[in-house]
Amino acid sequence: MTLTAQGVSMAFGGLLALDDVSLTVPERRVVGLIGPNGAGKTTLFNCLTGLYAPTSGLVLLNGRPLPPDPAEAARGGIARTFQNIRLFPELSALDNVLVGRHTRIRQGLLAALLRGPGFRRSEAEAVERARAELAFVGLDPAGRAPAGSLAYGDQRRLEIARALAGDPSVLMLDEPTAGMNATETAAVRELIAAIRERGIAVVVIEHDTKFIFSLCDHVHVLVRGRLLVDGPPEAVRADARVIEAYLGAA
Amino acid sequence: MTSTDTGSTTGVRGPVTRARRSARSVLSVRSVRRVPGAVLVLAGALSPWASVVLPGGAYPDLATLHLFDAPHLVTGFRLHLVLLGLAALLPRAARPAGAGVLIIAFVHTAFLAALGAVSFGGPVALAGGALLVWQGRREPAPRWPLPGRAVVWPALAAAFAGLLWLVSATLTAGGQSRATNPHGGAEFLAFLGFAVALLGILSAYGVLAWLSALAERHRTFSVAVLLGCAMLLPLTGAGTGYWMTVASTIGVYAATAIGLNIVVGLAGLLDLGYVAFLGIGAFTAANLAHTVPFPVAALAGAVAAGLLGVVVGAPTLRVRGDYLAIVTLAFGEIFFRAAQNDLGGLTGGANSIPGIPPITLFGQAFDRPVGALPAGFLYYALTVLMVAGAMAVLANLKHSRTGRAWLAISADEDVARAMGVHTGRAKILAFLVGATLAGLAGAVFAHKLGTVGYESFDFSESVTLLAAVILGGMGTVPGAVVGASLLFVLPEKLREFSDYRLMLFGLALILIMRLRPKGLVSS
Ligand SMILES: Nc1ncnc2c1ncn2[C@@H]1O[C@H](COP(=O)(O)OP(=O)(O)O)[C@@H](O)[C@H]1O
Ligand SMILES: [Mg+2]
Repeated sequence: MTLTAQGVSMAFGGLLALDDVSLTVPERRVVGLIGPNGAGKTTLFNCLTGLYAPTSGLVLLNGRPLPPDPAEAARGGIARTFQNIRLFPELSALDNVLVGRHTRIRQGLLAALLRGPGFRRSEAEAVERARAELAFVGLDPAGRAPAGSLAYGDQRRLEIARALAGDPSVLMLDEPTAGMNATETAAVRELIAAIRERGIAVVVIEHDTKFIFSLCDHVHVLVRGRLLVDGPPEAVRADARVIEAYLGAA
Repeated sequence: MTSTDTGSTTGVRGPVTRARRSARSVLSVRSVRRVPGAVLVLAGALSPWASVVLPGGAYPDLATLHLFDAPHLVTGFRLHLVLLGLAALLPRAARPAGAGVLIIAFVHTAFLAALGAVSFGGPVALAGGALLVWQGRREPAPRWPLPGRAVVWPALAAAFAGLLWLVSATLTAGGQSRATNPHGGAEFLAFLGFAVALLGILSAYGVLAWLSALAERHRTFSVAVLLGCAMLLPLTGAGTGYWMTVASTIGVYAATAIGLNIVVGLAGLLDLGYVAFLGIGAFTAANLAHTVPFPVAALAGAVAAGLLGVVVGAPTLRVRGDYLAIVTLAFGEIFFRAAQNDLGGLTGGANSIPGIPPITLFGQAFDRPVGALPAGFLYYALTVLMVAGAMAVLANLKHSRTGRAWLAISADEDVARAMGVHTGRAKILAFLVGATLAGLAGAVFAHKLGTVGYESFDFSESVTLLAAVILGGMGTVPGAVVGASLLFVLPEKLREFSDYRLMLFGLALILIMRLRPKGLVSS
């Protein structure tokens, strides 16, 4: 399953937040997206997940245009996390992950009312799977605590577990290590490597260039809404324009 | 099932050490501080309460100036005060007991003052209650391990029997009406204070949490026993035609409130015109009452209301929050005005629709007594089943894909979409289910009352239902029942305050928001 942006532009009033951006997320790869604050990285995520309809250009999922509807994107296999954590704080950690499994559960209203064997099997499976995702990201698999009561780093992991529960083929992580210390950051790097091992493509926005260059198969550099450079990490790191526009400034 | 083993995390910090610790603390210096308050409460309870003989006889029992006239005959609210004063000697019980004493003493003192009598016991008990609340310890409740099967069934059966007693006593507290007991309102409010104190003490010792964890784990057994207990209500002091009618009216509103709880408590959609769906169910059944048997009429009422729920839900999908409240408010008003003006000749306008026959099944009319059971028992039994069914709908949906989607929407709609939830469809479904339950309740309402008029469905009813949901606890299964019981029993009991009904609800809501922001029944 490949996710592609073709000449995507996004204008907010007079501000051109994305200017003719094209990129491809190949299967089973980790793609890094770096760039200074306000470069348009989150906006690109929002276009790729159906939250924004691009002003011009196309977003294609397996060659077919993605409707501008996050629910459809999720059904199509695109899952995401948010730069500023957006969990359902009052729901338990487990219920948060179960909401993430929404698209893969078939049992509707009537089945829920009747609670037949099919429904119960499906619920048990969903719960088992949600527990497995909690364990996968390193959280307590019981998941009883309300999401809002978890420590900051745990909330970031919980968002990842919730996104993984829907069996995505592309996982989009918006600054997954923001606000974390070195140990937590290293744990997230291992987590992303493990996610790739599961056959899921990952797009990750990050400011920590060391993190990006050591982890990604492919790196895109976005500056003021335009793709400045893209290529394998070694090439991007050595690129004079990148050093000047981004790394040099940092 | 997502919560099969809630509450089992107690671990092995056994109750033994805790019991020993609290046994020690009864004798500690700190515990002595509770004694003056308790003594004051006891003294207040046994002191004379009224300086005059009140209209309708001495108020309410032993209300004379004779001190310790017959202590063994201490009954009514004074017995409650004595019990609370004694309970206050337990370390964790002091605060809730003190709060209960404050309510009881305040209600009676104020009531007596309004009658021009001076109460001697009142101020003493008030001082004692205040002292207890001030001195009492506030600590987190202990958590008890869940017991083996041998203990479970008796424990749950005893708990539900206690609940049955509490319901029956609350319902009958203060007597039927002003005609038979002019002090009924005060007695009822004071009894509520006692009930609050009892529940507070049980909850301070972790008993309520323990019981609800038990009930959650043994759900089928609990439901069966609870239903059994509900059916026993006619055998208690509440077993008269009058109380059966009151109880079944409450049941109708409780079922309606549960429907609203799905819309507001689960899906987070603020609906200010919800009583219209009760009305649609009632008018539909009323119009069909002479042509089809009750089950068909009830089904038609439910379907009609459900369809209208969808019709109202669809255009509100584009509006959120405050705007949604305004749209639903307008819908409620449109329905009310249409019914008032007898639109399409379906509502009878100012004349109402009279002469709706009672429900009759297998030749048995529901308003007649069956065997030794009081008249109105059948309506009561029907509403118990209806409320149980509505609770099952709420509980089953809450723990399902649909219910989780609703909760997600109410927490963060954009993120819910990003998780693949078709939010529009889910919201319409919430309106549909909620309205259907209200419509069903409306059909029973119409037959039970025998006449249906538009005045039963005005804005204040929507507000009261909403208040019931918030008061009871949004999204919780028993919450709407508790809230509706309180809010629809209160006006029945406090007719002298009927002009201030909405104001008192407002005050109650402010208090709840302040003291228990998640409602009376919060998990
Ligand atoms: N919804 C929006 N409305 C208006 N301007 C926006 C909106 N979202 C982003 N922007 C603007 O677009 C630019 C890119 O923002 P963003 O994508 O959040 O950058 P990044 O994630 O790279 O830090 C910024 O100038 C920001 O102010
Ligand atoms: Mg950003």
